[in-house]
Amino acid sequence: MTGVVDAEAVTKRYGEVLGLNGFSATFSEGITGLVGPNGAGKSTLFRLLAGQLRADAGRLTLLGEPAWGQGEFRRRVGYCPESPALFDWMTGNDFVTTLLRVDGFSRTEATERCARAMAEVDLTADGNRRLRVYSKGMRQRVKIAQCIAHDPELILLDEPLNGVDPVGRAAMSALMRQMSASGRHLVVSSHVLYEVERLTDQIVMIANGQAIAQGDLHRIRDLIDSRPHVIDLESSDPRALGRALSAWDHVVSIEFPEPWHLRVLTRSPDSFYATLPELVLAQGLNVQAVRSADDNLDAVFRYLSEERR
Amino acid sequence: MSISAPRYVQGPVARVGRTFRTLAIVQREFFRRATWGPLFAVALTWFIVIIDTVVSVDFATVSHGSVRSAFETIYESAFWDLLLLIVTATVGAGSLADDIGSRSITLYLSRPIRLSDYLAAKASATGSWILIAAVGPGCVAAGIAAALGMVSASDAFAAVGGCLAVGVVVTVFFTGVALALSSFTRRSLYAGVAIFGTVLALSASVGVISGITGNADLLYADIASNVQGIAEAAFGLPSPYATDPIASVAVLLLAGLALLGLAWWRLSRIEVVGE
Repeated sequence: MTGVVDAEAVTKRYGEVLGLNGFSATFSEGITGLVGPNGAGKSTLFRLLAGQLRADAGRLTLLGEPAWGQGEFRRRVGYCPESPALFDWMTGNDFVTTLLRVDGFSRTEATERCARAMAEVDLTADGNRRLRVYSKGMRQRVKIAQCIAHDPELILLDEPLNGVDPVGRAAMSALMRQMSASGRHLVVSSHVLYEVERLTDQIVMIANGQAIAQGDLHRIRDLIDSRPHVIDLESSDPRALGRALSAWDHVVSIEFPEPWHLRVLTRSPDSFYATLPELVLAQGLNVQAVRSADDNLDAVFRYLSEERR
Repeated sequence: MSISAPRYVQGPVARVGRTFRTLAIVQREFFRRATWGPLFAVALTWFIVIIDTVVSVDFATVSHGSVRSAFETIYESAFWDLLLLIVTATVGAGSLADDIGSRSITLYLSRPIRLSDYLAAKASATGSWILIAAVGPGCVAAGIAAALGMVSASDAFAAVGGCLAVGVVVTVFFTGVALALSSFTRRSLYAGVAIFGTVLALSASVGVISGITGNADLLYADIASNVQGIAEAAFGLPSPYATDPIASVAVLLLAGLALLGLAWWRLSRIEVVGE
């Protein structure tokens, strides 16, 4: 394995509780989304990557280095923890500057980098306020500022958008994409699935401390051939459309949830999308809209979790 | 011919060494403790030590007594130790407990520093406050006494030396106590109570047991007895105590370093686990 992050059968126990249970995955370059429900083991994995926990078993490396410990390679990594705990007695600028100085920057360089990072997360105006008066969204943003200010190669963001308002989320997402475009690798965890889906197609899905799937989101979806794929169509004559579609072998069922709405379950979405235009043209059918109802992370995650049971 | 956009690559940035990185934490942690509690404890220590020392020196001057003995008076009672214990508890209780409790320790330890750097920074910041309380007022009192013409400059310098000797040794010990006990809890209140309770209980029990058994060696476990012995020697006075000052210095320094080692051991086994 030669990914940005390589995990091989990593196990972490908290007494009787299993945080990670033989987690194996390779995180490739660019943005990788670590997706799973609360308690799945995302934060445990991040703390292992941040060198804050030692794995009980298995092998975990990031940028080719063992994850455990506080070696010099840590300056190549930026870590934004999930915990809202900060050094509340400091101002935002002091907070970022201090951590930059711990990274090894001179006071002058740290001050300049702090100003740039605070501007990137839109906190310049609040930089001289104490962290204890920051809102939850501002705390998230200043955590991201400390995480990116030293220009790391690999950025670990544990639930970075949690608590950030919608406008802030859009700005943060844009910033993450920008960081990725500039050659940095990001591992972003979230249980809010659509956020990750909008950031990247590279997904590692985690449940019960295990990686249940990894790779391109759409390929993952394609792997799920035991489950029908839900496609919603809108038509002025849904019954005629339904009759035509029922002739296809891969169509499992057809429902009419609303007067103008047709829901098709198919075992072969690729064939469906490929042949639907021909069918519509050949039979003169009316189709006003086609939507994939479950080609999103929620559905994929639900399917995969059910499959493993 | 082809035209392509230039690729700008950032050159390597000079980084400062571990010592400077650690100093960044020392600086922040030192000012972090500048809250009402520690400031009041230090101010109280300064006020009492300066007043007590200057009045003692003035009385010795008037009564033609020993000036050195007057400078050493403050160490004779256990009150000075109690004041330093208050400073230690207010300054040092949260030094590690606060970071462990809030898990903000993660923010430091995910950086390229070692655990020993982090602990050294915490010890330096806590120790600086204790040192200010332990050494500062004695030195200022000596300066005031010299400025008021109560003592000669040489006597004042000798007094400063005595204050430094006692203060540094006691600072190492109390810093070790603070960090060790702070590393065992996530709440600074518990650590503060533990610092107070442990030192007071140890001193009280040692005094009683030593009195009953007649074993003077037990007094090496009592901070006040050690301080008194060291102070007598540091101020050049004959010691009436059963403890050997060199042994007392060794006991306090070794105990302080052992306690710092205990704090390091404890931190190395702490995993910053979830909420």
